[in-house]
Amino acid sequence: MTPETDSPELELLTRKLADAHKMASLGRLSAGIVHEINSPIGSILSNNEVVLRSLAKLKRMLQEAQEQAGPVPRKAIDMVDSIASLSEVDRIACERISAIVRSLKTFARVNESDLRMVDVNELLRNTMKLTGAVFRGRITFETDLGELPEVECYPGLLNQVFLNLIVNAGQAIEEEGTIAVRTRAEGRLVAIDIADTGTGIPPEVRPLIFSAGFTTKPLGEGTGLGLTITREIVEDTHGGRISFDTEVGQGTTFHVLIPVEQPRSETNNRSSA
Amino acid sequence: MTNGQPHVLLVDDEDMVITSIRAFLQLETEYEIHGYTNPQEAMRHLEMSPVDVVVSDYLMPKMNGIQLLAKAKEYQPEAARVLLTGHADKQSAIQAINKVGLYQYLEKPWDNSQLLLVINSAIERTQLLRNLREKVGELDEAHTNLKDVQTRLLRAFL
Repeated sequence: MTPETDSPELELLTRKLADAHKMASLGRLSAGIVHEINSPIGSILSNNEVVLRSLAKLKRMLQEAQEQAGPVPRKAIDMVDSIASLSEVDRIACERISAIVRSLKTFARVNESDLRMVDVNELLRNTMKLTGAVFRGRITFETDLGELPEVECYPGLLNQVFLNLIVNAGQAIEEEGTIAVRTRAEGRLVAIDIADTGTGIPPEVRPLIFSAGFTTKPLGEGTGLGLTITREIVEDTHGGRISFDTEVGQGTTFHVLIPVEQPRSETNNRSSA
Repeated sequence: MTNGQPHVLLVDDEDMVITSIRAFLQLETEYEIHGYTNPQEAMRHLEMSPVDVVVSDYLMPKMNGIQLLAKAKEYQPEAARVLLTGHADKQSAIQAINKVGLYQYLEKPWDNSQLLLVINSAIERTQLLRNLREKVGELDEAHTNLKDVQTRLLRAFL
């Protein structure tokens, strides 16, 4: 059980814990991220070499044509086309790498200590981009992102919530499956649902999932803190709500509600519960 | 088995990887290159037409590289199998080597000259294996013929 408290020390510790946990999650995602970056890098390196060699060949062909005052050989024109198409591949590859770097940046950002107005859909898109790299081939994302007002929140912490829930959803799916991410505005709240087609949570485990230290994952894979931190960030830090529906063999849906505005008084304070 | 130039099958769900390797091989070799971004289509190719070497990515939708190479082994046991992966994970390498009898395991980003070396020696190996199988077939046939002659000889004398 997490005590409801306004203690700034506890708040600070929660942040530090959330930060450490986020780094651990990113570390585990890194193999997928590496894969996602290595393909475009491989392409660019290979293309660079091919372009240089092609240009050398092209030069020889053109010199020969010039010396013999003959026509430019057909092969030379094909080569120019091939170089052009490789440059196009390079552009796509660079865009891919920078998209990954951009989505990583939103996570790597030090937990902002200030509240900011944030597009929650954008945070979710970044998280899906990053986790999609890891789950690629296994998991399909279905999104239904409604029109939302900007939400006043700690973006780094909220990112952590989405990362935890999406990584958990992916881990709950044994082979192939779907993660549905839906958002909608509900008055002064924003509702985010993350649903997986995974194994579901067994009844005996349900009361425990938000407890610190509880994990069903193999040793070394889970810290047993993911959902504890998630609940603290949603409910204690942002004054929101988190709940879930689950059915064994069917999947689990987590429902997150975040207020659009935080209480005006002190930034770190929740309204009295 | 294959006609004329050696056939190389490239499988990667990233189109850019296929385009790059194809451009490189076309510049450096006369090989016939078949590229697929969908491993299931690559599998159909393996079912229908002989190839000399299969170069496959590991992480792909629907079917991973090890599953595809296992199919390749089933359909064309002589065709050399190469895993080209960005998944820097020893586990997948060990699994691949044990499960599908991998010829080589290469990591992305790849080095073109190393890739070419691997593809060239893989093709050579495949063709040697195919020659060997043909020779064994011929030997078997010769052996059967000899036995036949022997039987007839024995019959003639007895």
